Amino acid sequence: MSVQTTVIGSYPKPPPEGGTFVLRKTLHALERDDTTPDDLKAAHEELTREVIAEQEGAGIDVVTDGAVRWDDIVTPFARHMAGFEVGGLLRFFDNNVYYRRPVCTGPVEWRGPATVEEFKFAQSVATVPVKAVIPGPVTFAHLSIDEFYNDHVKFVMALASVLAQEAFELQAAGATVIQIDEPALLGAPEDIDLARRAIKLVVGELTTAETILTTYFGDAKRLGGEIFSLPVHIYGLDFVSGPENREVLKLAPQGTRLQAGVVDARNTMLEPVDDLAATIGSLAETVGLENLWVAPSAGLEFLPREKAQSKLQRLAQVAKKVGA
Amino acid sequence: MGNVDLEGPGLWTTSVGSLPKPSYITQARGRRARGEIDRDELRELERRATKEWIEFQDSIGTDVVVDGEIYRGDMVAYFAEELPGLEIGGLVRSYGNRYYRKPIATGPIGREHPITVEWWKYAQSLTEAPVKGMLTGPYTICDWSFNEHYATRRDFVLDLARVIRDEAVDLERAGAKFIQIDEPAASTRMDELDLVIEAMGIVTEPLSAHTITHICYGDFHHAYPKMLDIPVDQIDLEFANSEYGLLDEFAEHPFTKYIGLGVVDVHSHEIEPVEAIAEGIRRTLKFILPERMFVDPDCGLKTRTGEEARTKLTNIKQAVDIVRSEL
Repeated sequence: MSVQTTVIGSYPKPPPEGGTFVLRKTLHALERDDTTPDDLKAAHEELTREVIAEQEGAGIDVVTDGAVRWDDIVTPFARHMAGFEVGGLLRFFDNNVYYRRPVCTGPVEWRGPATVEEFKFAQSVATVPVKAVIPGPVTFAHLSIDEFYNDHVKFVMALASVLAQEAFELQAAGATVIQIDEPALLGAPEDIDLARRAIKLVVGELTTAETILTTYFGDAKRLGGEIFSLPVHIYGLDFVSGPENREVLKLAPQGTRLQAGVVDARNTMLEPVDDLAATIGSLAETVGLENLWVAPSAGLEFLPREKAQSKLQRLAQVAKKVGA
Repeated sequence: MGNVDLEGPGLWTTSVGSLPKPSYITQARGRRARGEIDRDELRELERRATKEWIEFQDSIGTDVVVDGEIYRGDMVAYFAEELPGLEIGGLVRSYGNRYYRKPIATGPIGREHPITVEWWKYAQSLTEAPVKGMLTGPYTICDWSFNEHYATRRDFVLDLARVIRDEAVDLERAGAKFIQIDEPAASTRMDELDLVIEAMGIVTEPLSAHTITHICYGDFHHAYPKMLDIPVDQIDLEFANSEYGLLDEFAEHPFTKYIGLGVVDVHSHEIEPVEAIAEGIRRTLKFILPERMFVDPDCGLKTRTGEEARTKLTNIKQAVDIVRSEL
């Protein structure tokens, strides 16, 4: 039995140094009407193949499609539901990365699956399970502007109900692991009861898929043990940006399953093998080897392509050693 | 720290820094990267483009002009390339389909020679209007780089602050009356605003020029009013992209510095009508005196086409003229 390895979501889109950046070129060409959406689809699919092959090659057990079609975790969904416009640029948490803020101007409604086709494609080219990723309703609300409900609870619950349909469709399409990203919850402990209700709604129709509630960019100290009351199977904590999550973990009930972010997805410095082995070893001791998944601390898109690759190789190599 | 020595009733027009690169520059940069032309050939073209932008700014009556940063790729990489201790890393995405080469600190940061002074002198030789000296702030260079050397971010930032201070002092000696030290990252982490303030203090302490910092796209509700403690004369902020939301804050805590008022969105092809810009300026005049106000785009215009940038800047000037006539 070895520790399971996975990733959080995004993967660098640029090619390794010296390669042709087909996706960027295609997007530019599309902006000038110099190419067709079919070419963009082909570029997305080719990049999906590449990033899945890279993750598998590194030895990752549960991969993602690298979010190669996404600019961020909310706009691909906001653009697809009724009730949203996409507004001005805003910093994405504490990163030098910006996203367009969704603006809710009408009732939020499901208009069919947003990500099922891309999930199906990714799974069809992977030999290991592909994790489906959706934004959590609380984070979605915090990253958006609500000009319609003017009521945080109603807004979050409306989002939860659309995300529930997305999750259901993803499971129906074959997703065995569904990750719900809630980084904003770390800074909004007042939302914990609301989060419990909203996430219960999101996962309500799921029967077979395992669910992961993922946080990153900080620690869950302000949520305390309450985070482990959210109705999911696995809890994702970032031990790089949130070293205090070690304290939080002490509050977890016996048998808690953990997805631990242990290599820094936001800095190029490669973790020394011994340090990483010690980190993973001590987490395995705390939650039990069978309950531990390890991952980068966040989506890998913050790193250049080669650095992301090295980090994944290092992660898988050390995780196998700890499990052996 | 310095006051403003300009003619007129205030509402001075300027730009935040970068202006679009004409296609002959984009092409020449590509050819230079492929080794098809030499450094001097590229430089000649960059001088030509700089001259064209300065002539344009003069032609519409800009009060404080910029050199347009035609010769810079990215605001952090440009300095990283010249500073020992920083290496240029691989591509990472900043938003949408935009990417930059994120530097890596691999050793102690130093400075071997002035970086921006020759370009500033060239630009100033082309115009009677004052040309801004343009620097990237220490906190932003740190925040937008990877760190494989320093034990703490503070060590990294303060080493950078000493290097940027030396550059600012050299600009002032060359004659710069306006020196802008951009800190777009300053609004990123509220728990590091003290570090931003400390580092800026190191940079501006020896200066008598009018100092400016540009900050963008952050959570101002938390950064304000504390950002007023940043030791500069003027803070330049985006108002168009955020729909003048900061004015609500000014009602509660008066803005105590000179302001650089960003009145056109730099990420939109849409051209703001003159009257809409004028209305934004009028709204701001309820909180800030005209003689304390500079008017400019939200941010650098380098992502717009040349035509869009010229029209946006012309509309700003026309809006300013309308509002000036109402004073």
